[in-house]
Amino acid sequence: MRRVAVTGLGVVAPLATGAAAFFDALVAGRSGVRVLEHLAHGATVVPIGAAAQFDAAAHFAPARLRMLDRVSQMALVAAAEALAQAGAALEGAKETACVCVGTGMGGAQATDDGYRILYAEKSERIPPYSVLMAMNNAAAAWIGIDHGLGGANLTFSTACSSSAVAIGEAFRRVARGECEVAIAGGAEAPLTVGTLKAWGAMRTLAPADASDPAASCKPFARDRAGLVLGEGAAMVVLEPLDRARARGARVIAELAGYGLCTDASHITRPSVEGQSRALALALADAALAPEQVGYMNAHGTATEANDAVETAAIRRVWGAHADRVPVSSTKSMHGHLLGAAGALEFVAALIALERSVLPPTLHLDHPDPACDLDYVPLAARAVARFEATVSSSFAFGGTNAVLVARRARGRTGGSRNGMEKSTQQP
Amino acid sequence: MTTLERLAALLHKEFGIAAETLLPEATLESLDIDSLRMLEILFSVEEEFAITVPGDHGELKARIKTLGDLAVYVDDLLSPGADSAP
Repeated sequence: MRRVAVTGLGVVAPLATGAAAFFDALVAGRSGVRVLEHLAHGATVVPIGAAAQFDAAAHFAPARLRMLDRVSQMALVAAAEALAQAGAALEGAKETACVCVGTGMGGAQATDDGYRILYAEKSERIPPYSVLMAMNNAAAAWIGIDHGLGGANLTFSTACSSSAVAIGEAFRRVARGECEVAIAGGAEAPLTVGTLKAWGAMRTLAPADASDPAASCKPFARDRAGLVLGEGAAMVVLEPLDRARARGARVIAELAGYGLCTDASHITRPSVEGQSRALALALADAALAPEQVGYMNAHGTATEANDAVETAAIRRVWGAHADRVPVSSTKSMHGHLLGAAGALEFVAALIALERSVLPPTLHLDHPDPACDLDYVPLAARAVARFEATVSSSFAFGGTNAVLVARRARGRTGGSRNGMEKSTQQP
Repeated sequence: MTTLERLAALLHKEFGIAAETLLPEATLESLDIDSLRMLEILFSVEEEFAITVPGDHGELKARIKTLGDLAVYVDDLLSPGADSAP
């Protein structure tokens, strides 16, 4: 099996478009959660969510926009950023280059619009591109078309672990030699009336915080009240480490491990057994000991069930070292991007590894006795260089996916010490 | 405004096709209008002219090769007696 490098990152997210700007906002402790007045629909409760800082018209001509659901728009922009950062990654590799995208809901806006026209407006004038916009593999397909990538073009849909699975499966393909380059990540655009209503019906959404709606998502806190939906896309470029070094690419990190397993027990309830198994599998795959992990980006949804279970799972795997590994949930700032969450949070973990700065868990003013790890509460933290980082994603349906990245070494390794100028001091 | 002028304005404004290329003899191919794009254009044409384009793709393909053909086709649908009930 070949070692795999990450050589490009791309982000469209709440808080910022652009991976570096996004991470700066996390370190600054900004929240992208807002009241979404325009999505209130006969509602007694006005919805909240984290909308992406993204103006599609700045990226696409009007004729193109008519064919692209918001999920594909954001995926394309994130992919373009990642490929631009990776430089000449695609040179001589397009024919087998692979695209792996995770999404839970695909073109949710196109679906929502179609139903509105049909049932609310009582019209039969469904836009002719509706199928092409709504289909789950649209984002991956457009990335392949725009960049001429002729290898496997795959879409993974495992709810909230979709994009962690997409990155993990792309990692395997590169490691096995099936392709020389993969672009992998996720995209989700769930801020539609119908999607918000459906999630609201599950009673998993946090109500707006009475004094500050931006503080509504409180992972690991005693007063946590549920998740907040967010939208965006995040992509990474993967290629063999040797190839990246040979072509002089900047290696951001080595993608070193992937753990995948399924609870096979309950459609929503998380399990310590399943989560800890995925964490242990990922560490073993990376051949790393728990104490080598210097930062973990948790799944940390801020639901009652997940955060306590996840804490217990980390304790089970990290053992005596659990109190010394910083774990944060950046969902407190960007919300839960569902199928795109794993990719966005993996990007945050990679930049944390590269800069030796840990993004915080915001709004953790009231600790929960059942959640007793070091969650990097309230403010970012500058730390000494560390070896490896973990990003966890656990999903409805029970698919648990964990990614492990380690600091790249060697002459072209991207292991710059300290913080970059643009990083705000915590 | 003639039907042709209205069509040209629509194609320029909503589909970003350069105004100077929108001549009656311009073929759909030369305007980069493939069958998929044509679906979206017909959808807009239906709204612009308040007509219903029948779903016979064979006939559409056979009759409409140029922008001028499209204008004639729309005029036929607009003419009294045509099956143009919205």
